[in-house]
Amino acid sequence: MTAARIGIGGPVGSGKTALIEALIPRLTANGINLAIITNDLVTREDAERIRRSGLIDPARVGAVEAGACPHTVIREDPTMNMVAGDEMEAKFPGLQLLIYESGGDNLASTFSLDLVDWWMFVIDVAGGDDIPRKRGPGVLRCDLLVVNKTDLAPHVGVNLPRMLDEARSVRGGRPVLATNCRTGDGVAEIAAAIDAAVLFRS
Amino acid sequence: MLRIEHILGSRVEEKFASALHDLEHEGAVDVLPLAPGDVSRRRMRAQTRAGEDLAISLPRDQALFDGAVLLLEPGRAIVVRVNAERWLQLSPRSISDAVELGYHAGNLHWRVRFAGESLLVALEGPVDNYVARLGTLVSDRRVAAAVLAEGDAA
Repeated sequence: MTAARIGIGGPVGSGKTALIEALIPRLTANGINLAIITNDLVTREDAERIRRSGLIDPARVGAVEAGACPHTVIREDPTMNMVAGDEMEAKFPGLQLLIYESGGDNLASTFSLDLVDWWMFVIDVAGGDDIPRKRGPGVLRCDLLVVNKTDLAPHVGVNLPRMLDEARSVRGGRPVLATNCRTGDGVAEIAAAIDAAVLFRS
Repeated sequence: MLRIEHILGSRVEEKFASALHDLEHEGAVDVLPLAPGDVSRRRMRAQTRAGEDLAISLPRDQALFDGAVLLLEPGRAIVVRVNAERWLQLSPRSISDAVELGYHAGNLHWRVRFAGESLLVALEGPVDNYVARLGTLVSDRRVAAAVLAEGDAA
């Protein structure tokens, strides 16, 4: 059986890489055999950061340079990412989960279902509590919306419960989870959501 | 939970037609209803009409389709039924409004069809989410918006 492929997208600085770093120990502790492919514009910064983290075998972290609009390689033509995923699966037989991190983008970025089976979109409270109301395609269409950096809410004048309510409302009740990746709050719930959605172990 | 790891074939194939016909008479053909937007998924958890919990994980070179046979065994079968697409009909009042509408639809990566002087947008969520993105084009009545009844876009 081929590995499940999931996507993590979201605006620049919302905490996508931090979420992956928080997820790696939880997923590996749950016995999940995983690898990661990051997307950056013209560098391999995110891949290098995860390789240096000590959380995962650096060989299990691949990088795709998008070159231009980061959403192009996850939506319009995800070929480079598909090939990178196939190569990773060939290199690590028994791989169960492949995580694609999109380059930082805007609220309109979405993943093609040709590339991933399921995807989440990460926004953060410091980006403003009006983000859900803007109804960006990323916010609306993802399988799971993650509202990160909850600890910053009081410092940036954000009413977190209202922001979460509005996010659930514009998504028609589809899943929304709040996280603080620095403390790990909410990360276990995301690991469980991935497990239930594509690994079918719970 | 029932695991489905490949598609057996299409319900119209001769090798399935007779068995499915007999099972249908027994009321033993269960249906997996799918939204058009979910057909591209290779992996998902989904429930059939009879309440069977499916864990679907297909090879990367297989894709679901209307009529895909997922299970065929003595006494029961499971077949995919793709729900009809819902369409939002957008009718601009002038050429300049049409140009603006086309820009927005492309910029938002909506799935569209052309229907004479209207643009049909495939609805994958609440209609308000689509209308809101068009702002004054709709509120100023420069573009008329209406959800088509099932079958009207065929």
